[in-house]
Amino acid sequence: MKKETLTAIIFGIFLGGVVAFFIINKTKEIELNKNKVIAPKNNLNNNKNIPDNTQAQPLEITSPQDGLIVSQNSTSIAGKVEKDTLLVIQSPIKDMTFLTIKSDFKISFPLALGENVIKIVAYPKNKTFRPQEKDLKIYYIDSEL
Amino acid sequence: MKKTLLISLLVTLLLSYLAISTYGQTEIASESATPTTASSVEDSDIKTLKEKVANKVSEIRQKNNKAISGFVLSNKSSIIKLKTYENEEFEVELDDTLTKYFKITGIQKKEIKADDIEKDDYIIVTGVLVDKRITANSVFVDEGFLVEVGKVAEIDKENYSIKIVTTAKDNFTLDIEDSTKQSMLNIKTNEAEAAGFSKIKEGDTIHFVVKQLAINKNNSYSAVKILIIPQEYFLK
Repeated sequence: MKKETLTAIIFGIFLGGVVAFFIINKTKEIELNKNKVIAPKNNLNNNKNIPDNTQAQPLEITSPQDGLIVSQNSTSIAGKVEKDTLLVIQSPIKDMTFLTIKSDFKISFPLALGENVIKIVAYPKNKTFRPQEKDLKIYYIDSEL
Repeated sequence: MKKTLLISLLVTLLLSYLAISTYGQTEIASESATPTTASSVEDSDIKTLKEKVANKVSEIRQKNNKAISGFVLSNKSSIIKLKTYENEEFEVELDDTLTKYFKITGIQKKEIKADDIEKDDYIIVTGVLVDKRITANSVFVDEGFLVEVGKVAEIDKENYSIKIVTTAKDNFTLDIEDSTKQSMLNIKTNEAEAAGFSKIKEGDTIHFVVKQLAINKNNSYSAVKILIIPQEYFLK
């Protein structure tokens, strides 16, 4: 085999290798982007109030969503919190205080016509933990509108 | 030399073809995951896709139908500018024929006109929100409230006022009026009971509701209601 032929083959293999390397890398990148899991924004917000002890169940409101528009004069507030936590739920028209007996809670809460600003505060049984707060704005708008 | 060039070109092309065909196979494999042989299956797929698109459109519409609230900065030429409590400014686009206007008083609402909405009114707007602009379906003139919690830092017994520092380190001065509904947590029963101003101590935690004001430089409010969590609760 001539020297030039050998050079040409090596050169060809090298170029082909570069192209193959580039394509394989690009494929991997595309695959990675397809499978990437992006954490929902809510989860990021929930982390704000995690107590010092990360093992404790942080206050989490599963429903209703903040900013919800409803056509009834009451809503069901449900969520999760550490057992035996004192929950204080306050709005301009109603105050509620109760001790949670389970880690899940669900209560019916009255709404005034228009905007309802509701603050939910959890005082953990272990008093050394910081209280946790959540705010909700629920809009009760008549269905006839 | 020409021969060399030709050979290198051929080898390059061959290797590139091999690499590209490998890449193509990966893509085709994922694309061909759904069986699309019979036309009935295709019809069914198209129907499902249409339903999904329709549901998504409905979901987006529902998602975009939002409510915002704040104080009116101006009301001119079918545009209301409002500022929220968080100091965000929005433009409210009014439609002469579609937008409805109401004033909420207690549990009742009364229809009003766009011109009745004045600067410093607290309004709730519902409609489709895009960025900082909302196309209004309805506008409600209402009262805005703040619901906060904090610790009592100072008590002025002569003027019946208390200074509070919230968990966000905001300072509030609350005037306790005759009309202020006052209650305190019974630490034995965990229920709220009626209480008076004399029961408040420095270091107590207070949940409070105040009416929002368009202009308030000192964060001084007349309290609508307060709920005291005595410090003894935290020593239990």
